Amino acid sequence: MPADPLLRAWLWLIFLSFGSTLVSLWPWPPALAALAGGLVLGLAWLKARVILSRYLGLCDAPAWRRGFGISLALFCLLLLGLYLAPALA
Amino acid sequence: MSDESVLDELPGDLMIWVLIVSELLVFGAGLAAFLAVRITDPAGFAEAQDALHRTGAGVNTVVLVTSGALAAWALRLRESARRGAARLALVVAAALGVVFLWIKGAEYAAKAAQSITWDTHPFFTFYYLLTGFHAAHVVAGVLVLLLVAWKDAPRNIEAGAAFWHMVDLVWVLLFPVIYLLR
Repeated sequence: MPADPLLRAWLWLIFLSFGSTLVSLWPWPPALAALAGGLVLGLAWLKARVILSRYLGLCDAPAWRRGFGISLALFCLLLLGLYLAPALA
Repeated sequence: MSDESVLDELPGDLMIWVLIVSELLVFGAGLAAFLAVRITDPAGFAEAQDALHRTGAGVNTVVLVTSGALAAWALRLRESARRGAARLALVVAAALGVVFLWIKGAEYAAKAAQSITWDTHPFFTFYYLLTGFHAAHVVAGVLVLLLVAWKDAPRNIEAGAAFWHMVDLVWVLLFPVIYLLR
C-alpha cells in the first residue's frame, strides 16, 4: 500500500465500492439475504468513515471521528432493521 | 482557564460542519423513509429497483470518490504553495462532477424512454427525490469547486472541498440503499 494516507484512502474507497457492488450482484440464497444486506451497509459505513477521516480530516480529531463513526453505525443499523423488517414480519 | 473547546478540534470552519450534519440528517431521514415505505411492498420495490442501472451508479461512485480525492489533494497542494497544481486539481475535480451529472442524466433519460416517472411506483418517487436532490448538490458543488479554484485562498479551498466531501459522503450512503439493497 502507498505511504500517502490520501492515496491510500482513495484506493480503499475504490476497493470498498467494488466490494459492495460485487456483494449486491452475487446470487445470494434468500436465507442469506440478511447477511448480504448487512455486508452492503457495513461497507457503506466503512466508506463513510474513510471520507470523514481522510478527506474531511477527522483523523486529527479522534473524539469527533469516534462520535461520527458511532452515529453512522447506529444509523446503518436502523437501515438494516428497516431492510430486514419485511422478512421478520 | 483555557478557552479551548472541543469544537476547536474540528478541522475547518464550524459552519461547514453544521451544514454537513444538516445534510446528513436530511438525506438520512429520506433513506430511512424509503426503507420504511418499502416494508409495505418489498416485492414491488425489488422489481422497480431492477430497472436501475447498477453498473452506471457503480461507475459514478468511483467518479465521485476520485473527485473527492482530488479536492483533498488540492487543499494540500495549496497549503504547500503550489497554486497552479491546486487549481488544476480543483478544475479536474469539478470536471469529474460534470461526468457524474452526465451519467446521471443518461440514467434519467433511459428511465424517461421506458416511461418511468416519479409516480410510476413509490420506489421511483423516492429514487427521483433523493438522487435528484443529490444531483442538485453536485451542481452546486461543481460551481463551488470552480469558485474556490478562482478565489484560491487556503481557507476557501478547505470550505469548498469540505462541501464536496459532504456530497461524496451522502452518495456513499445513498448508493447502496437505493441501488444495491435487494
